[in-house]
Amino acid sequence: MRLKQTVGIAWQNMKHRRFRTTLTTLGVVIGVTAIIALASLGEGFRFAVKIRMEQGFELDVLTVIPGSLFAGLSRIRFTDAQIENVSQIPDVEIATGIMQMGNVTLYNGDKKASAFVATAVNFTEFKQIYSNRLGEYTEGEWPKRPQNNSIILGYNINYHNETAPFAHAGDNITVKLLKGFTLYPIYEYYNFTVTGILQKKGTPGLTNFDYWVFIPLETGQKIYGLEGKDYADLIFARVSSPDVSEDAAKQIEELFPPYQVSILVPITFIRQVDNILNLVQLFLTSIAAISLLVAGIGIMNIMTVSVMERTREIGIIKAIGAKERTILTMFLGEALLIGLMGGLIGILSGYGFAQLFSIILSRFMTRQQSTDTAFPSPETQQATTVNPVFSLEWTIGALIFGVLICVIFGWYPARKAAKLDPVKALRYE
Amino acid sequence: MAPILEVKDVTKTYRMGNVYVSALKGVSFTIEEGEFVAILGPSGSGKSTLLHVIGGIDRPNEGTVFIDSVDIFTLNSNRLAEVRLHKIGFVFQFFNLLSRLTALKNVELPLILADLTEKEATEKAQKLLELVGLGERMHHRPTELSGGEQQRVAIARALINDPKIVLADEPTGNLDTKTGWEIVELMKRLNTEKGQTFITVTHDPSIAEHADRIIYLKDGSIEGIKRGVRKNET
Repeated sequence: MRLKQTVGIAWQNMKHRRFRTTLTTLGVVIGVTAIIALASLGEGFRFAVKIRMEQGFELDVLTVIPGSLFAGLSRIRFTDAQIENVSQIPDVEIATGIMQMGNVTLYNGDKKASAFVATAVNFTEFKQIYSNRLGEYTEGEWPKRPQNNSIILGYNINYHNETAPFAHAGDNITVKLLKGFTLYPIYEYYNFTVTGILQKKGTPGLTNFDYWVFIPLETGQKIYGLEGKDYADLIFARVSSPDVSEDAAKQIEELFPPYQVSILVPITFIRQVDNILNLVQLFLTSIAAISLLVAGIGIMNIMTVSVMERTREIGIIKAIGAKERTILTMFLGEALLIGLMGGLIGILSGYGFAQLFSIILSRFMTRQQSTDTAFPSPETQQATTVNPVFSLEWTIGALIFGVLICVIFGWYPARKAAKLDPVKALRYE
Repeated sequence: MAPILEVKDVTKTYRMGNVYVSALKGVSFTIEEGEFVAILGPSGSGKSTLLHVIGGIDRPNEGTVFIDSVDIFTLNSNRLAEVRLHKIGFVFQFFNLLSRLTALKNVELPLILADLTEKEATEKAQKLLELVGLGERMHHRPTELSGGEQQRVAIARALINDPKIVLADEPTGNLDTKTGWEIVELMKRLNTEKGQTFITVTHDPSIAEHADRIIYLKDGSIEGIKRGVRKNET
């Protein structure tokens, strides 16, 4: 018998038992829907997280930290010579040292503002490293020829109180810095002139400049009595591309004695997070796959009943000359068609569900944010919008899996039908 | 010329629970091409079993069957299916048509199994249905046809692949007398016109009388073989 005709007969049989076929197919539809919905949402979630991470971390900027990230006060400091060595590495385009001072309070007349850190930077080099994040200002600009008393304010420092900005470009302000400890913390006051106020960026990574202020590196060194000693707390190194960042990190590490520096490589973070999300996605999809397995058992059940009901018919067809293979193909054809139909419908409804779920999720999250979030910003809202991602691999994979399950579970009843003894089958009532 | 069918020492035993029932006890006979043979016997005499063995849908415990000089029980199940498809046509007492298919589709089925295209199959089936007098009713389903009409469809289905042998198992058993005779007449006509060998099982002596030969079967053994009226007619 020709394949087309075998499939045609299978189709006729399915049409004849429309309600039963629909229910059986529904099992497959639900299974494939679950797989596709979870996979595409998972993929979308991974993508959203990745985008946010990439925005939060400059992927091509490595941070060299003396000791470990948690070393605290036991830290050593970097010399200019060391920074120079880092910048000599072929993949490193530019390296710059910075100093960071905590507990910063700023005064402008009777107005007061606080900052996480005051960062002392080489203005020229720092701008080169973070060019895309230091390009826009609400007022003023990044100093081209910085004075010793130039200061740049992060957006949130200046606009913490939305009605009245803390300062304007050109204002002279006083900065209170923690200089050290004896029995009590020692604070000192310094005068600066505001050269620029950064535009809001709101990136949620390690370096959220909205809460930073920048002063010249030499000034920082002078404050700490390190003038002329070329000391820096951290090195920021920009590599030619994120792909080489791990290699470059290794080379930087080799410049220092063992265990003297740690290097933050953003791409490693991102990869780690992506791996975790990938695992979660696989886990969820496997659970969905179980539902397809249940559908498979349903198919086996229904087909076994169907073979029993059609025993006589099978006997007739065998008596008039059908081969076992023909009967087998006829029944497997039904399983295959159920798998294909269920799979295709499941793919469509899977993406539909994912779309619907993402809309509901984003609405829910937006409402949550407006009340719950400590720092509402348009950026964080973006982060919670998960758009399901259409993936050809998942689509084809789910379809093949659906069809395969149907055929595997259909195999037993189909074989049972093929092996029926025609004489007994003809006597069957 | 070698006989079209040779049944050789066929023994068939069934197991029913713990009891073994001998349906056939060493049955042997030969049938020539073009003969119209009736197998006559009371119910339980093994007629149907014999017909199933000849048709290759039941295997004997001992002995064998040659069709066209081929020992059909040395064939594997695929080859045996091919023999059933191309050399044998079956007509059953209860018609055994597929209720979901129209008369035409039922007749087409063996052609489809034989790899003909739908178009070829339809053309051939239509011609044959016209020959058995169902030209007008071919698009009806079995449930919409009378018993006689259903049996005509079954006969058309049995003949569609031009088999060497047509096996009929009580073809009139489920029909009223008049319709039964019409079916017998039809089979006789086709036997004459197409030259195919017909073997029909019956318990009705008046029908058996019209065959070329009558094989009497009782308790699984042949009691005798007699010439029928039809040979006397000619």
